Amino acid sequence: MASLLEIRGLTKQFGGLRALGGVDFRVEPGEIVSVIGPNGAGKTTFFNTISGLYPPDSGEILFEGSDVAGLNPDQITRRGIARTFQNVRLFPNMTVLENVMVAQHCRTTKGMWPALFQTPGFRREEAEIRERAREVLGFFGTRLVGYRFDQPAFALSYANRRRLEIARAIATQPKLLLLDEPTAGMNPRETLEQTELIGKLRSEKGFTVVVIEHDMKVVRNVSDRVVVLDHGVRIAEGSYEEVSSNEDVIEAYLGRPATKEGA
Amino acid sequence: MTERSTILRQNVLFWGGVGGLAAVFISAIGMVEVFDGRKVIDPWLSLGYLLLLCIPAAVGFRVSRRVVLEGVAGPVPGKHDIVAGAATGAVTGLVMAGFILLTDAFDLRGVLVNVTPALLDLLTFGQGSATGVLIIVGLGSVLGAFGGAMHLVPARTRSLALRAFLWVLLVGFVELLLGNMLREVRLAAVDDYLFNTSRRVPWYSALTVAALVVVPSVLFRGRSQKLRARFVALSAPRRRRIGFLLAAVFVIFGMVVPANFGPLLNEIMTTVGLFMLMGLGLNIVVGYAGLLDLGYVAFFAVGAYSTAILVSASSPTFTPELAFFSAVPFVILIAALAGLVVGTPVIRMRGDYLAIVTLAFGEIARLVFQADWLKGAFGGAQGIKVDPARIRTMFGYVLVGIGLVALIVGGLRWWAARSLARERGEHDSRATSGAVVAVLGIVAIAVGVAFPDFATWTARGIDTEQIFRFALVFVVIAAFVSWRLEDSRVGRAWMAMREDEHVAEAMGINVVTAKLAAFVTGAVLAAFGGALFAIKIGTIFPASFKIVQSIIILVIVIVGGMGSLRGVALGAVVLIGVLGGPSQPGMLREFEEFKLLIYGVLLVVMMLKRPEGLLPSARRTRELHQEEFLQDAWIKAKADEIEEHA
Repeated sequence: MASLLEIRGLTKQFGGLRALGGVDFRVEPGEIVSVIGPNGAGKTTFFNTISGLYPPDSGEILFEGSDVAGLNPDQITRRGIARTFQNVRLFPNMTVLENVMVAQHCRTTKGMWPALFQTPGFRREEAEIRERAREVLGFFGTRLVGYRFDQPAFALSYANRRRLEIARAIATQPKLLLLDEPTAGMNPRETLEQTELIGKLRSEKGFTVVVIEHDMKVVRNVSDRVVVLDHGVRIAEGSYEEVSSNEDVIEAYLGRPATKEGA
Repeated sequence: MTERSTILRQNVLFWGGVGGLAAVFISAIGMVEVFDGRKVIDPWLSLGYLLLLCIPAAVGFRVSRRVVLEGVAGPVPGKHDIVAGAATGAVTGLVMAGFILLTDAFDLRGVLVNVTPALLDLLTFGQGSATGVLIIVGLGSVLGAFGGAMHLVPARTRSLALRAFLWVLLVGFVELLLGNMLREVRLAAVDDYLFNTSRRVPWYSALTVAALVVVPSVLFRGRSQKLRARFVALSAPRRRRIGFLLAAVFVIFGMVVPANFGPLLNEIMTTVGLFMLMGLGLNIVVGYAGLLDLGYVAFFAVGAYSTAILVSASSPTFTPELAFFSAVPFVILIAALAGLVVGTPVIRMRGDYLAIVTLAFGEIARLVFQADWLKGAFGGAQGIKVDPARIRTMFGYVLVGIGLVALIVGGLRWWAARSLARERGEHDSRATSGAVVAVLGIVAIAVGVAFPDFATWTARGIDTEQIFRFALVFVVIAAFVSWRLEDSRVGRAWMAMREDEHVAEAMGINVVTAKLAAFVTGAVLAAFGGALFAIKIGTIFPASFKIVQSIIILVIVIVGGMGSLRGVALGAVVLIGVLGGPSQPGMLREFEEFKLLIYGVLLVVMMLKRPEGLLPSARRTRELHQEEFLQDAWIKAKADEIEEHA
């Protein structure tokens, strides 16, 4: 079976800094893959390049067999890759419902003229958008529904903002979800809940998920496969157990033990 | 206690000084003297004096203003307020006195041209500088004490008195307009009572006006709040329906009534309509899409020039001499093209950079129209003459066309809803609205047919009344477009883009299309304004499209309330209707010279006190008062929690 996402030799350079130095990466449909690595390893740049925020310098990004490298972010989202951001970036002054409604932009078509004349098609589509937004928010239990629909996003708690970000990504109806540190800043209970949620994203919604994560407990619980980046290159790949006992990985995280010829 | 009295002394000196400087300022720039011509209450109180004497009263009130904290009992108002007010007023008077003595001793006219002997005479009440100084200090402290004493009066009475006072002022201001209107509707007796032979408000009519304001609001105390509460309690669709109905009544009123307004008010209202149109257009660009466009006047100019060329018989080379409404589609097309031309190069810019570049575009447009090498097309600095008396309108055809569309759409809607209702056996509200639209369509057709001079190809000539009606039509279109777009897929995309462009892109919004759509829509609405301007003004020349126009349109949007239709409309009425446009008169003709000063002061005050604008959108208020909102939400959540436990 063909890979959902296949990346070959992806590089990205910022001036003299080599953020990504030829990364190879592959995701099969239905997988949950974690990307880990120390700070500054290039994880977020990796996501930004896949989602089109940065054009890659070289390399191929094959999504469902066609190259999406160099496309605009909105085109990539349309193809079916959605993402969240490490430093939660909602539309703070739009309501919770509007945040999710606006994310359906690329799956809907009615432009200015239908809106002006409120054609039956326009009304139907608006109703559908609203309905789907409620449905997506309902996925998070009672946390984002009811009176929360009409609250501005800035009024949400930190954990709820992270949830809303995931809801917004789901609303673009993607095939592949890129979650950038979905549990950062959450307390242990919320982290646990979020971990379960990531599992449910696959089992109930059928998404393929790539997660950047720092919390090793989360990584162990959710991932089928773990990819380790350091200094913009892949240094290890495999199951959590394989990776966590890998020499290079331990070195990347903890540093090289001081030896006589080292230092 | 000593600490408090030090603070108080500092406050007295500070506010007294501020008041004094303000009084000196408005005297020195000539406001007092110019406004002396306008008598608020004949013959002894002129606007000039009023302005001057308001200052000590205001600072006398301000000096002992307290911050009201919830749950904390503030200091009780008492005699000390009066004393502090008097002291502050006296300080203001002293500053004024210093200014009077200075003017008396030295001739300041070389530096301050407005400091004339006549002004000195005014400031000293014609008593010579020695007595005048005493009077002004004494009067200052008396008025300051009066201001301070206001703290002892209940807030309701205070606001009522202020309202009565402002109404008297307003009647004095709009004397000419009011007189014209009253005479037009055959109420000359009222006019004769209100204004004496020199067309000024005598004391008895001032009292009458005040009584007319005070008595009903005492009688109907609390009624209006109840009414408002009931309105808010209505469901959203019903509220919208009522709002829609009110707007429709207003529009029909506007269509019928201009004949009774007299030419001056007509002129002013047309200008208001023009700027409202541009305000609504800019509101889409800045308020909805968040693209700060400082060169918006360029689209106004494009609309004006293309209309002038298409309709005028004396355009330099190309003279198709179209009727006004057959030129409009071309104007729309040209404006949309201009929107694309300006929009495309600035797609990747945002914030300050966008503002600077659009600013340049605005100037470029003016210079292009002014350029000698395009004189053959645009007439250079002399511009293009448009003779309103020689233009055909074809408004009748437009009315008939609109009417036919309304009839067909409304009829189909009514028919479909009714057959649906028959199947289900319940009434559908769409049947009613469809019927209403269809009937309005028939009315429009009837009007179009009944006024053949609008419609025929041969009749020529446009008067201000017609232009006002056209302006109304365009404003309705602009408001409708804004209203429908705000709550749609496109509007949401604009909002998201305004919040965070990168994320909007990552969420699948094509920002290039969204931005261009905003630019083009804004450009077309501005071009409507330009088209009206072209047939109203007589001559189109580059000097009418200076940067100050862009700024004033932006000020309308900001002062009114960004992103709020009602706000922009109010902003246009207040700024343009009352003060006048950059080169058009407003209701207060005396303000002519000080217009820009007042704009500036208004803008600064608004930014400090009410940055969301006069009638803000809920969203914008939330945005600018996030903390208060969060606090309220928190309190509400806690209250709910307690309720749940109980």
